[in-house]
Amino acid sequence: MGTVLDTGCHAVAMAVCNAKVDVVAAYPITPQTSIVEAIAEMVEKGTMATRFLPVEGEHSAMAACTAASAGGARVFTATSSQGLLYMHEVLHMAAGGRLPVVMANVNRAVFPPWSIYVDHQDSLAQRDTGWLQFYCASLQEIYDTILQAFKIAETVSLPVMVNLDGFILSHASMPFFVQEQEVVDKFLPPFEPSWVLDTTNPNSFGNVTDQSVYHLYRKMLQEAILASLPVIKNVAKEYKDLTGFWHGDTFEPYKTDDAEVLVLSMGSMAAEVKSSIDMLRKEGHKVGALRLRLFRPFPADDLAVYVAGKKQLIVLDRNHAFGNEGGILFNEVKAALFGKNNEIKLANKIMGIGGMDLNWQTMAAEIRALLED
Amino acid sequence: MLELRIHGYGGQGVVTMAELLALAALESGLVAQTLPFFGVERRGAPVKAALRVSDKPIHIYSQSVEPDFLVLMSEKLLDMGMNVGIKPESNIVLNAPANVAVLGHLVYFVDATGIAIANGLVTDGVPYINIPMYGALCRLIGIEAEVALNVIKNRWPGKVGEKNAAVAKIGYDSLKN
Repeated sequence: MGTVLDTGCHAVAMAVCNAKVDVVAAYPITPQTSIVEAIAEMVEKGTMATRFLPVEGEHSAMAACTAASAGGARVFTATSSQGLLYMHEVLHMAAGGRLPVVMANVNRAVFPPWSIYVDHQDSLAQRDTGWLQFYCASLQEIYDTILQAFKIAETVSLPVMVNLDGFILSHASMPFFVQEQEVVDKFLPPFEPSWVLDTTNPNSFGNVTDQSVYHLYRKMLQEAILASLPVIKNVAKEYKDLTGFWHGDTFEPYKTDDAEVLVLSMGSMAAEVKSSIDMLRKEGHKVGALRLRLFRPFPADDLAVYVAGKKQLIVLDRNHAFGNEGGILFNEVKAALFGKNNEIKLANKIMGIGGMDLNWQTMAAEIRALLED
Repeated sequence: MLELRIHGYGGQGVVTMAELLALAALESGLVAQTLPFFGVERRGAPVKAALRVSDKPIHIYSQSVEPDFLVLMSEKLLDMGMNVGIKPESNIVLNAPANVAVLGHLVYFVDATGIAIANGLVTDGVPYINIPMYGALCRLIGIEAEVALNVIKNRWPGKVGEKNAAVAKIGYDSLKN
């Protein structure tokens, strides 16, 4: 294919097409984005040999996805904000059922009051459902991460959510490279499930358990999620070796080596903050940036390595951890570093809620105000 | 990096024009980004879009508040456009039959409405002003005419593309200050 100029939504759709997905189930109306519109068009034209199921709500969309996945299909859906919240119950089903569903979520603020613009509350509110979560910072990364997500999901039997900032990444048009189909086929061979729901050979799945068994399944889920980390890293490296594209595996560092202070954030703001870092460095501040790409499983050990010897870590959150101090990422960081690096000073700023514009000058000013010299 | 912010009314093809400009930049070996601003989407309501063009990868995603060029599809949008954000060295590009003086800023103008009507680029009484304006903006940001016209011909193959490309060329040649 080569380089195309298109939107973040269409980057998702093109990757899903390249992944030769068997089933897409989605609610096609607001808060849906043009992701499933583009997929429906390709299915209609015959470009994608995919069964498209337009369902009556996101809860049903995820239910259809889990059923199709249990039937051995490669499955995809997309949603955003309220749609993701409405799915919540069935998200547990996908993860607990160890079903490798891949979903793109366009990060948008949640109601009330109504806002259609970006923040990370919708997906971070799904933190404890057992889904793996990626956050992208460019259109190229969106395309590449969707392809990686299928490989990871099917390798570790866990669902993967790929997040992209609403409007900023989803509706911006920028050039990105679309791989030749043969290259994708080499990276992502057809899904070969270890088991399938099969009417000719009936099995029970997700049955009632007693206390002696249930807790073992939950423990296995937790162990599987934590054990997915090396797989995620290997897949990112394999993709890089094959295509040359690399966005980091767990983190993307920027000028961290000689920095005394690191600024941690996720999504598009973590791309723009590089310019804030450049500006602050010109002023003489020894700062660097860390972009968290993988939120679940949380790469606590990698974080500890990056911050070793640093004086301060400033966390920028595009969400609230309601009922606790600071944002959700900040609380994750505190939990991850406790007992590992208690010398480092931590600071937090919640910003960019509901699409409040985050330009690099504003972010530089906020970082400057938080610096402890 | 060069930044343009375009103000128009819903239905004038502002988002399409920004995409065409981004394609033309891409064809010229540059990197481009269009960032449409979505608010209330209604025909006739004020709309805006940003375009960034650079010879290096773009990692800026914030709204355009200090554009190098403030592009106004109508003179009536001058105050609104300036209020959204402008810097002292910003230039202004107007769809207007004659120049309008704006204190402290260099103003370019092109009669996009007049060109579209004179060349029959009108549907249901609405002139396609984005096509001549596209041509004018291509010249302004240093896109070669041939590249600019090929983008249109590829987007709308056949007669439609030929006609639109011819009108874009008139816009390309008509930019004045």
